[in-house]
Amino acid sequence: MVKTRTTQYWIPTLEANEKLTKMLMENSLNSPYKDGRLSLAERFWATGNSAASLKTLPSNTARELKRYARKLLRPWPKGRYTPSYRRSGGILNIFTPPWGKQEDELWEAMLDEWRRQDFPNDTERQEARRALKQKWNHTPHPFFARLTPAQVMIGGGEQEAELTKEFTKKLNNQFSRRQFESEGQALVDTLTFLRAWAIAPGKDGQTPSEIIIAERTALLARREELIQQREASSQGE
Amino acid sequence: MSNIRNTRSSRAQRSPHLTLSASEYKDGVRQADEILRDNDLIPLDENWQETVLHWFVTEDIERKALADYIEEHQEALGAAWAREMLRMEIFFQVNDHNIIVAHYDRTLSQYPRCIVLDMWVADHIFRHQGDFWRARPMYQDVQEHLPQHPKPYYEVGFMNHLLGDLPSALEQFNRAAKRIDGYDDDELAARVFYNRGVTRYALEKDRKGAITDLEKALEYKPNYPQAKKLLRGLSIRSWLPW
Repeated sequence: MVKTRTTQYWIPTLEANEKLTKMLMENSLNSPYKDGRLSLAERFWATGNSAASLKTLPSNTARELKRYARKLLRPWPKGRYTPSYRRSGGILNIFTPPWGKQEDELWEAMLDEWRRQDFPNDTERQEARRALKQKWNHTPHPFFARLTPAQVMIGGGEQEAELTKEFTKKLNNQFSRRQFESEGQALVDTLTFLRAWAIAPGKDGQTPSEIIIAERTALLARREELIQQREASSQGE
Repeated sequence: MSNIRNTRSSRAQRSPHLTLSASEYKDGVRQADEILRDNDLIPLDENWQETVLHWFVTEDIERKALADYIEEHQEALGAAWAREMLRMEIFFQVNDHNIIVAHYDRTLSQYPRCIVLDMWVADHIFRHQGDFWRARPMYQDVQEHLPQHPKPYYEVGFMNHLLGDLPSALEQFNRAAKRIDGYDDDELAARVFYNRGVTRYALEKDRKGAITDLEKALEYKPNYPQAKKLLRGLSIRSWLPW
């Protein structure tokens, strides 16, 4: 079991700890400043200039984290959002053992369906494949706790960061003194605890899962808006 | 059988780690052989099939699947394979997760793949090694080859729940529930209905259905504290009594 340096909280596996670090960076890029300035991510979407955005990271940011921030501020692929496999996926996904294309049953099923279809020509066949990739990007994924790959790509925001603090504290209280028979058992118990927490409505009647999805959806809309504004202004020049 | 069941060694309680050194593995095999010798369990050329069938499985579905496997692969198996299976049975009984997986990987993987064995080893890979992505296709293969068995549906459903995919979890729990009558395992039946009840309520707010499932879980396993607690909570209309 890992007591993380970042949080001083109990985390069941090293892999989850690594994802937690990634998640904190994703949250931090999406968090607006208190004085109303744009967040780092917003600045990037508005300008397309990642170097300028990265300069505003605190000077003592670890090199490894800066490297991850640079990856986060790369333009997204035109096709399938495969970098989502390597994102943290936020609190709903940080404990899920890492997986990728090889394990992706959803993409495999979508491809199988595409392969079975008849197309009048190769152009239409390729067009259908391109459309399929976009469909995957925006379909709730069974292995991302039903976030879409786009919602994973965007990262979490301020509310998710707050919920994460609340959850890691609860997790620590629940498990930090418990002896587990194996690392796998610690992981299974953590995930069971997480899933119960994620669907429990809070005082306002909303569940953590609903709050997280709504915030990520809003961040995606904000990204789209700023990118469109940038493109419109560059066409006007 | 009772002698073997009483031979739980300190191995089950020792601190686990995912990989086993060659000497630890050899040591485990040596201990298993001692138990087999003490119980006169030495498979011979003339009785290896019966010995394995007698000692390794108790459920009809599994016995039939194992018998079919033995018949299909007679040539490749034999007394040596039977001895490895009996060693595995000892490892299952002492519940030593690491040596179970090590024995499967290092020794039994040299024989044709046995779906019944896969199902039981997958539990240790999933729940104790935490290797979801290795266990998942093993369970899915069992679903394909033993479609009447409830366990692989329950396990995939539980994994889907852990991955945060409640609709697929419910689908799998429904499939497991449909198959539970033909399978004599009260513990598994209780878990199937408990988890289906929880998922139904979380997903569909189906309080009545959830209560029915929890009551059914308690019929199979009257001493099931989580089911009792949840049932109490649902009956007084509060959320999340766990």
